[in-house]
Amino acid sequence: MPRVTPPERNIQLDALPDVVLCERATDGDTAAFEVLARRYGPMMRGYAVRLTGSTADADDAVQETLIHAWDHLGELRDGSVVKSWLMRICGRRSIDIVRRRREHADADSLAEVSDSSPTPESATISGSGLDALARSLEALPAEQRQCWVLKEMGGLSYDEIAEQLGLTSESVRGRLARARARLMRDMEGWR
Amino acid sequence: MSEDDTRGVGDHSPADDCGHSIDELADYLATGSSPYEGHYRQCPQCQSGLASLRSLGDLTRSLAEDDARIAAESDGWLQDILSNLRLETRAGRSIPVASDDPDDGLSETEGAVVALIRRTGDGIDGVTIGKCRLHGDITEPGAQTRVELSVTALHGYRLPTLVDALRSAVAEALTTHTELDLQGVDITVTDLFGTDGAGEDQP
Repeated sequence: MPRVTPPERNIQLDALPDVVLCERATDGDTAAFEVLARRYGPMMRGYAVRLTGSTADADDAVQETLIHAWDHLGELRDGSVVKSWLMRICGRRSIDIVRRRREHADADSLAEVSDSSPTPESATISGSGLDALARSLEALPAEQRQCWVLKEMGGLSYDEIAEQLGLTSESVRGRLARARARLMRDMEGWR
Repeated sequence: MSEDDTRGVGDHSPADDCGHSIDELADYLATGSSPYEGHYRQCPQCQSGLASLRSLGDLTRSLAEDDARIAAESDGWLQDILSNLRLETRAGRSIPVASDDPDDGLSETEGAVVALIRRTGDGIDGVTIGKCRLHGDITEPGAQTRVELSVTALHGYRLPTLVDALRSAVAEALTTHTELDLQGVDITVTDLFGTDGAGEDQP
């Protein structure tokens, strides 16, 4: 068995399952945490961009999510659910960021800005159906879009969405219905 | 998914013959239950409505995958975030180390000892340490200590051999680098890794 300075086997970290990475990260292994951040960062960022409508806000949301995750990873009982745990935190942070910003700006002018400026990603999306959906989503009022994204991308229930957005379940249902009607109308040609 | 003339699903409303709206169908998909389940199964209009709802949901999730793929392609943003994080290694408790001069107050941190154990384990082929804990009153000099490890073993290695090798390597490292009174190394193999044959070409 090797006793003297063992060879670095860090390459292996990339291939490790979430559970092991979580255990190591909880014990303070920053390299393991970075592997988790790389594994789920892109997914979180995509989600955050759709929720906030801005790449800068999305980056803030992902960063806050990772900081929170690093501090609270020990509370996660089951490392195999780290992906959905991260996505949930990221959704919450994204909504918080939009809300915080709204408190600083006039809600109406903000909604206009965030809803009319397409995200940089949308320009590069190929595949006409996805492109059309991306444009249609961006054209939705912010709260309708958030409800839709939380439900369809985040897999949240009506009640969970209501809790995150501080709305009643009924108004979530109403916003989803309006979002759906609009998206279906816009996507009519793509089916 | 076009059912010839019934295509315009957005028009599917209570005014239609069957009387079940697209919103009602969406609630059914979201909750997984409805008193009208039997009807949905038979009604071509409801079937077509459900199919459209599912495909819109699927398309939204494809968009999410596409977003993630694009985000993964350019990872400058992630580099920035990671360097901003400035992750601190958790130092943990302070473990005293004896010195010729008692006033020196030498100590090493729990984090350093855990890192030592981890490095030792990582040097052994076929095993990766997950959780690593020190049990005992380690802030006291010469404290009785047990080490708890959970490890992932690579498929294709003999477990008892791996565990023995790990146990003696960890014991030796701790005896060399700390003054803890090691009572034992408790190892749990929590997972086998690389069962898809990744480890098979190594004996």
